[in-house]
Amino acid sequence: MSRQRRIRSTFLAALRAFVRRKTAVFFTFFFPVLLILIFGALLQTQPAGGGLFAREPAYYLPGYLGIVVVFTPLSRVGSTIARHRDGNRFEKLATTPLRRWEWLFAHTLVNVGVIGLAGLLLFALVLVVTGASVVVGPALSALVPLVVLGVALFCGLGAIIGRVADSQDGVIAASNGVALPVWMLSETFVPPSMLPAWFRPVTALSPLTYFSRGVRTAAGGGDPTGSLLVLAVVSLAVFAVGAIAVPTTE
Amino acid sequence: MRSDATALVADGVRKRYGDTVALDGVSLSIPEGEVFGLVGPNGAGKTTLVRALTGTAACEGEIRVLGSAPTAVDADRIGLLPQSFHPADRLTARELLSHYAGLYDAPRDVDTVLDDVGLADDADTWYENLSGGQQRRACVGTALVNDPDVLFLDEPTTGIDPSGRRSLWSLVEGLAAGGTTVLLTSHSMTEVERLADRVGLLRDGSLVAVGSPTALVDAHGGDSHLLVEGRDLDRETVARALDATVSERDGRLVVRNVALADVGRVVADLEAAGVDVESFTWAEPSLEDVYLSLTGEALDERQASAAGTESER
Repeated sequence: MSRQRRIRSTFLAALRAFVRRKTAVFFTFFFPVLLILIFGALLQTQPAGGGLFAREPAYYLPGYLGIVVVFTPLSRVGSTIARHRDGNRFEKLATTPLRRWEWLFAHTLVNVGVIGLAGLLLFALVLVVTGASVVVGPALSALVPLVVLGVALFCGLGAIIGRVADSQDGVIAASNGVALPVWMLSETFVPPSMLPAWFRPVTALSPLTYFSRGVRTAAGGGDPTGSLLVLAVVSLAVFAVGAIAVPTTE
Repeated sequence: MRSDATALVADGVRKRYGDTVALDGVSLSIPEGEVFGLVGPNGAGKTTLVRALTGTAACEGEIRVLGSAPTAVDADRIGLLPQSFHPADRLTARELLSHYAGLYDAPRDVDTVLDDVGLADDADTWYENLSGGQQRRACVGTALVNDPDVLFLDEPTTGIDPSGRRSLWSLVEGLAAGGTTVLLTSHSMTEVERLADRVGLLRDGSLVAVGSPTALVDAHGGDSHLLVEGRDLDRETVARALDATVSERDGRLVVRNVALADVGRVVADLEAAGVDVESFTWAEPSLEDVYLSLTGEALDERQASAAGTESER
């Protein structure tokens, strides 16, 4: 009960602090929408042709969802940690009963809520704007745990970046430096067949690859359990390391 | 409401940041219910000592808080206002205090705490829209929501106007009367002199003096003295008339060791000797004199002033 109370209190404070930053809220939703409009409506895919968008529209669903699953938690949790550290908030929290993992869990819940909404919007937009088709069935419900686990994973990674980077500027630079290659090279937009043979095993090391495979499989009506399990294990591990990285003391 | 039990113990606490010694073997013991004031120049180690005592900075030496190591003590019994604390700014004062109250099992009523820190009328104002003093009072409130047994206040009244400062002083006095142990750091000697049962003076990471304000003033504050101002004052004439030690400072004469009760006699003696006096100023030593004497800041200021004068010539 006490733990739930602490997490609830931290969740509410973090949620209020976020939703009252209108610019942050706007761009959390606007940025991925803009990308869908650019790639999905202006450039469009060319299934019969060559180039980057050579697959059918549904292939890119993990890529569009990945924008919010990767970028938003990485930068949000990282910069939140930097802000907390600058304001001596962790020094204060270290003397309260709140545990580090509870803090990260509460902030992860906020991200799950925000990114869940953004993901829903993107999912609908991808279907409407790009004409992507998905198989509506029980397998599609696997998108929910896939997004939740993906968000948890990148919240943990954001906490690690927030710990390592010494300023908010540093967090943003590091987040972008990590997020962009991970997002591009995890079987999201670039099919493995377009990558050099020697590089393909590297994509298997990216946890987002399993998110992509899982989303693609679930959207196609298949069983994503394998990808889901790998993602769950990696998410749990990264979240645990992220929780330890939350800097409550010097 | 003081007791014989010890709330805080530090024994040989040391802390280094690279080549800089922040704490150099600090030892002190604070009984339950005492208000302990920690003073010292910037960089003396006050905040580092608070961090050591609250377990947020790893240090060498032995520290006990309510009988436990700082990181093992029951967090429900500790309250901390860190220096330069900046909480989330888009929460109202009530939401901010509710957030911290939500971290404890049996918190105080948030509206009561808001009232205690004088923010009842601004409880629904966003933190970022509060004045600097109101923000600091909200921060103090976050340290009170769990009704702590030991309260650490690192410069609690910085940026607060005189009225707000006095209401916070009353609040601390009330907490102390209720048995709360308070360790507060401050640059205001008036604040420490009013609130603290005992004062510790840190200089370069070392505790150079500990005692009640009165004891410290008696030991290190020097004598009460009378400043005499007038035209064509002659030091030897005044010294002879009063049979006292007289020195000169800034064009005025300083008569040492004059009790307040003796001022009338001194004035009469000077009149009888025909000394033309324009004004008298009597001053007794204060904690500020102790601070200046023990930290060497007065000397440093005089040296800086002399250097400045020299360079202007």
